[in-house]
Amino acid sequence: MGRKTSATVAGGMLLAVTLAGCGGGTGAGDSQQTGGGGGGSSAGTSGGGGGGGKTIKLVAAEYSKDNTAKFWNQFKAAYEKKTGNKLDVQIVSWDTIDQTSSTMIQNNSAPDVLNLNAYASYAKDKLLYSSDEVLSPTAKADLLPAFVKSGTYQDKMYGMPDLSSARAFFYNKALFKKAGIMSPPKTWAEFEADAKKIQGLGNGSIGYAMPLGPEEAQAEFSIWTFNNGGNWKNGDSWTINSDQNVKTLDFLKKLATTDKVTQNNPGRTNRADAFNLFKSGKVGMIVGFSPLAGDLDKEGKVDYGVAPMPTADGSAPKTYGVTDYLMAFKKPGNQQAVKDFYDLYYSKDQINQFIKAEGFLPVTQTGLDYFKSDAKLKVYLDTLPNIQLTPTDDPAWDKVKLAVQQNIGSGVGSNGDPKKTLDSLQKTAESSS
Amino acid sequence: MTVQTGAAESTDTAAPARQRRRGRRRQVGSRASVLSALLWLGPALLLIAGVVVYPAIELVRASFSRFSVTGLRLGDAGGTNYRRVLDHPDLGTVLTNTLVWVVAVVALTVLISLAVAQLLSKDFFGRRLVRWALIVPWAASLVITAKTFVLLFDFYYGTLNTVRDHLGMAPVDYLGSDTWIMPSMILVGVFVSIPFTAYVFIAGLSAIPDEVYEAARIDGAGPWQIYRRITLPLLRPALMVASVLNIIYVFNSFPIIYTLNDRNPGFGHDTSITFMYKLAFKSAEKDVGMSAAAGVFNVLLILVVVMIYLRVTRWREETA
Repeated sequence: MGRKTSATVAGGMLLAVTLAGCGGGTGAGDSQQTGGGGGGSSAGTSGGGGGGGKTIKLVAAEYSKDNTAKFWNQFKAAYEKKTGNKLDVQIVSWDTIDQTSSTMIQNNSAPDVLNLNAYASYAKDKLLYSSDEVLSPTAKADLLPAFVKSGTYQDKMYGMPDLSSARAFFYNKALFKKAGIMSPPKTWAEFEADAKKIQGLGNGSIGYAMPLGPEEAQAEFSIWTFNNGGNWKNGDSWTINSDQNVKTLDFLKKLATTDKVTQNNPGRTNRADAFNLFKSGKVGMIVGFSPLAGDLDKEGKVDYGVAPMPTADGSAPKTYGVTDYLMAFKKPGNQQAVKDFYDLYYSKDQINQFIKAEGFLPVTQTGLDYFKSDAKLKVYLDTLPNIQLTPTDDPAWDKVKLAVQQNIGSGVGSNGDPKKTLDSLQKTAESSS
Repeated sequence: MTVQTGAAESTDTAAPARQRRRGRRRQVGSRASVLSALLWLGPALLLIAGVVVYPAIELVRASFSRFSVTGLRLGDAGGTNYRRVLDHPDLGTVLTNTLVWVVAVVALTVLISLAVAQLLSKDFFGRRLVRWALIVPWAASLVITAKTFVLLFDFYYGTLNTVRDHLGMAPVDYLGSDTWIMPSMILVGVFVSIPFTAYVFIAGLSAIPDEVYEAARIDGAGPWQIYRRITLPLLRPALMVASVLNIIYVFNSFPIIYTLNDRNPGFGHDTSITFMYKLAFKSAEKDVGMSAAAGVFNVLLILVVVMIYLRVTRWREETA
């Protein structure tokens, strides 16, 4: 066995390790190590010449295991056939997409199109194309005004909505009947009385399931306070500790601690757990959205109804809506390819096929027509044009939202102080603006 | 160690000459192949550089940088990130939690593992099966284990509360109450740490020669005396290895705390590791630079703790 052989072996191993090192850099899991592996393994993707033959990358959030990947793979095939470009699709779960996108941007390897629930900070950092650059006028004209507004930062639209959802009030018909409640409540007073009746049925019945835990607390609070005339912002100033908001949180705390008509520990219940409780048939009322309805229909266990939200004084109900975004990153030479991407996505068949599969709501006029025939969606579609959103057009909201998620639940605990909780959130918001 | 058996002494006279010869040849070889030595060390060096050194440098660099919420580097931050971590209102709570978590999990793990190892080094029917079963929590992914425990602890569907219900006791919110969440997490931490620790102890126990026990028995020592005077002292190296490694693992443990504590608002039950993660992605700070600074503090903290531990236990003398 000569030295030569061993040297060759060693050399081969060296090569192998080098190659392995280059291939790494997924690092989605270990974000603690900022900028972990694969520092340089980027940027080289978008190389080809102009006019077809380009490669762009999409990082998309996973709305559901069954449908998201299926839709985007179909979309990829259609896109590649139509444009001659290549589309790389990476689907990331909602749990990790924040850190995935953050790591990509730290490593200077942003995707070309990113699907996320926020965009304003990216626009503020001047990373994005505006709609003038990548969205055709017809596609833009088709978008519902509420979503154009929420996608607009400093007079330019950067956040192209991919789909929307609207919350509605879900109630368990069997429990309502048992408690002798004829129709869903229209005012908070009626709501409170109904919740007490259901809770009074005993046997583990819960009047109202209130998820104010970190997962989606801002959504739960939004829909309640919108129906009390409250809001997060008024014009350019934050109104988190406004009278209406404090009264709303007081009311929620009363439900939880004085009336005791909620599930155990609402300030520490995540949305998914509350939904599971409703699906088990124990819960009288909950704020849900169309994917919950989809699950309930599939399981067929709970006979439920959907109604508009009760309001504090019986005035016209408001709906809280959410939209997510497809934003396009400015990179040399990718503008046309990205424009083609949007053209295809906003074509009637693609966008509505996606929305339908995922059980969400449209963001376009043509989408409203497309779904009009679906009786189940009527209650949502009627409210969609007047939908009220969180201030996603303010980059500060990207931080404020997290502060709300992490802290508002403590306001409804037995030692909670709603006013103090909202005061401190107001302070956080003002200091991050 | 300078203990020599009689057999070794008998060949002693021939040894020096042979050693000299072999030594010379090795010297010649090494001088001729610095390159080949590098080549052999290369893969390992590259791995260390890529997996340890490079991320460490990046971490320090990030900790001195100012980042946007999006992750975009905006410029230099000087010591701001470090100052902001030190000024964080929840830092005290987080450090206390970390201390409680590490001390409780490591102490309980070591105690229980000692007993388990003792049991498993005895011969009994089905020992092989029990030894295999012990590996399971070690082999399972921590996230999955943590999720399983969430199902056990859940207020409404949890197994524990079902049992309490049958016994006519009121349910307990193991994960959502400030009193119970830490003990619940510690229980899971101990559960997943026992396998490794017990195996280290089993190895340590089997390295203790039977003759020592025999001698002790002949001298009339009782079982407790034997355990305290012979087993424990001879197990000391294993004990120290297990403790040091456990301190590091438990300190760095992320999935258990993150999963079991996911419903609780704020930083009330976070350790310094989940604190660091939340700073970057989940809290209002949402600041990668600040998180990196917290990361540097974490590394320093664990280094100091381990060094103090090694100094106190006089590691070098014991394991040399």
